[in-house]
Amino acid sequence: MGFGRYVTARVLWAAVVSLIIVTITFLLLSAAPNPAVQRAATQAALQGGDPAEAAERVRELRGLDQPLHVRYFDFIRSVYTLDWGWSVSRSQPVMEAVTQALYYTAQYSIPWTILTITLGPLVGVYSAANMYSWKDHAATGFAFFGYAIPNFFFGIILLLIFGVWLEVIPVIYNTSAPVFSVENAIQLSVPVFVLVTGSIGAVMRVSRNESAEFQNADFMKTAKAKGVSPLRAYAYHVMRPTLVPLSTTLVGQLLALFLGSSLLVEVVFGIPGLGRLTYEALLAQDTNLVLGTTLFFTFVAVIGNLLEDIVFTVLDPRISYDDR
Amino acid sequence: MADDQPLLEVENLTTTFSTDNGTLTAVDGIDFSVDTGETVCIVGESGSGKTVATESITRIINTPPGEIEGTVRYDGRDLLSLPESELQNIRGNEIAHIFQNPQEAMNHCYTVGWQITEALQIHQDVSDDEARAKAVDLMDRVGIANASSRFDDYPHEFSGGQKQRVMIAMALVGDPDLLIADEPTTALDVTVQAQILRLLDDLQEEFEMGILFVTHDLGVVAEIADRIVVMYAGKVMERGGVLDIFDHPGHPYTQQLLECLPEFGGSGGGIPGTLPDPHDPPDGCRFAPRCEYAEEACRTGDQPDEVEVAPGQEVSCVHYGPGGNPSVVRSDGLGPGDGAADGDSEVGPADD
Repeated sequence: MGFGRYVTARVLWAAVVSLIIVTITFLLLSAAPNPAVQRAATQAALQGGDPAEAAERVRELRGLDQPLHVRYFDFIRSVYTLDWGWSVSRSQPVMEAVTQALYYTAQYSIPWTILTITLGPLVGVYSAANMYSWKDHAATGFAFFGYAIPNFFFGIILLLIFGVWLEVIPVIYNTSAPVFSVENAIQLSVPVFVLVTGSIGAVMRVSRNESAEFQNADFMKTAKAKGVSPLRAYAYHVMRPTLVPLSTTLVGQLLALFLGSSLLVEVVFGIPGLGRLTYEALLAQDTNLVLGTTLFFTFVAVIGNLLEDIVFTVLDPRISYDDR
Repeated sequence: MADDQPLLEVENLTTTFSTDNGTLTAVDGIDFSVDTGETVCIVGESGSGKTVATESITRIINTPPGEIEGTVRYDGRDLLSLPESELQNIRGNEIAHIFQNPQEAMNHCYTVGWQITEALQIHQDVSDDEARAKAVDLMDRVGIANASSRFDDYPHEFSGGQKQRVMIAMALVGDPDLLIADEPTTALDVTVQAQILRLLDDLQEEFEMGILFVTHDLGVVAEIADRIVVMYAGKVMERGGVLDIFDHPGHPYTQQLLECLPEFGGSGGGIPGTLPDPHDPPDGCRFAPRCEYAEEACRTGDQPDEVEVAPGQEVSCVHYGPGGNPSVVRSDGLGPGDGAADGDSEVGPADD
């Protein structure tokens, strides 16, 4: 089967891409002055010591006096063995900080992603089936609204209405609420809603326009002539070809929001997730932690694109995987 | 023809579409019938309403914007008054369709096997293995080599002629009693065309189906038809047995259609003029504006009633009606191209 080989090749490519990214990151880091060395030198100077000697000691301590290729292989090894260093600002290993933050991020990201990839195409195809009716216009209006309004602003407005005025959701995120509890569901409902409105718009529009093309295709007439019910015809004959171009939009859209909006939404709603961890690491100039979260997002993007490539060929049999 | 109850009997079928420019009448009160084991061809130039007429039978046309009136009696039921759910049971099961363009008629995301068995499994409770066996058998019957391995191939891996064979297998998988074939050979080259026609002929005997065949190609008609219905601008101009019509066409439109065929000694040119505007059809005979024999009487009232000019052959033409003189139309003998072409210096572009 060509498919197995294709998947293997794609996975290998993804590994190569991640290695290139890690290499570039390493080169940038080694070219930049190390804040710890500078700090030690300043410290020594203030205390009347020899700044150069202090700097040298720190460099030795951190292995910076080693040749470049030795440090490179050390770096690669620690990245791939998930030993991402020590976070100074949080006084814990970077991996631990990322894992803890991921725990909260996952709690809203998973329902958000599931809702977007199920509701988006459904509403889009429904919209196309009822094109130019009030249902279509309502869905289109909602899509444009969600697409246009900035997530953080929409989040603040909703928090003001439901948290401050109506008092149905807590204003302060409660980290001690169990994951599968009503309390957690309530406090996550608004951030999830905000993110879904932001991501579903593009998905709805793409699936509406793509499926509008397919619902008038000749094969829909064939399906009808075979006695296929309209529901089945839409579910099988329209949805499937629509998913092909949609999968491209979907991955890009979700990744962009995952990286960008999750930060703002986490800041607004006070969720101690990955976005806020990155933000605080930047403010605290915690190099290792910034590096850790950046690498994490990079790997998510690489894996996302890998999945997209594979999904693409599974969905559309006409896409050849022989020569790629 | 002496059967008491034809397999399919269409009466006064009228299909209109509401468009931005008003109501478009595609089919305007036509009648025809198909018997079991018989092939009836609906003939006419493009835009004459043939396809709409056949797609109205099982309401494949979307309504709205379409609106279908009249009676379609099939197996003792009036299809046009049945609810959609019952029609779904008839489509693909009792009445199957084959369409013009096999390239587009299949979904590119599914294997041909999946698409053939889909037609079977939505109607009959058969296991996947049984469905597969039946589909492979049919693919074999319609002439696809290595059917069992090609079952899992996708439509883009088949040639145009093979795709049409697959479409035929898909239509036959539910053992239909009536097969509606809408220009199934138009998109194919001539050699493949002949193969497909022969295949349909063989399968008709084997499956004891009635076939309603739509085409604008009289060469195809000559090969396959038992009876012919000639349509023009949503109306029936003439009907009759294939030999009668080819031998002594009654209606000027039929005569001119046959003249277009080089095989019948015609000029191979077209019929001057174009189809009337379906939003606002002319009074009287629809063909009058393009007819060389048209008189004042042809341009008033409705389409003339059909008159029997030979056993089983009926013509809707003023010249055959009461007070008319058939020799006006037939003055130069019965065969096409015998004399009518002499004075026909004006040759219009082919109408396709």
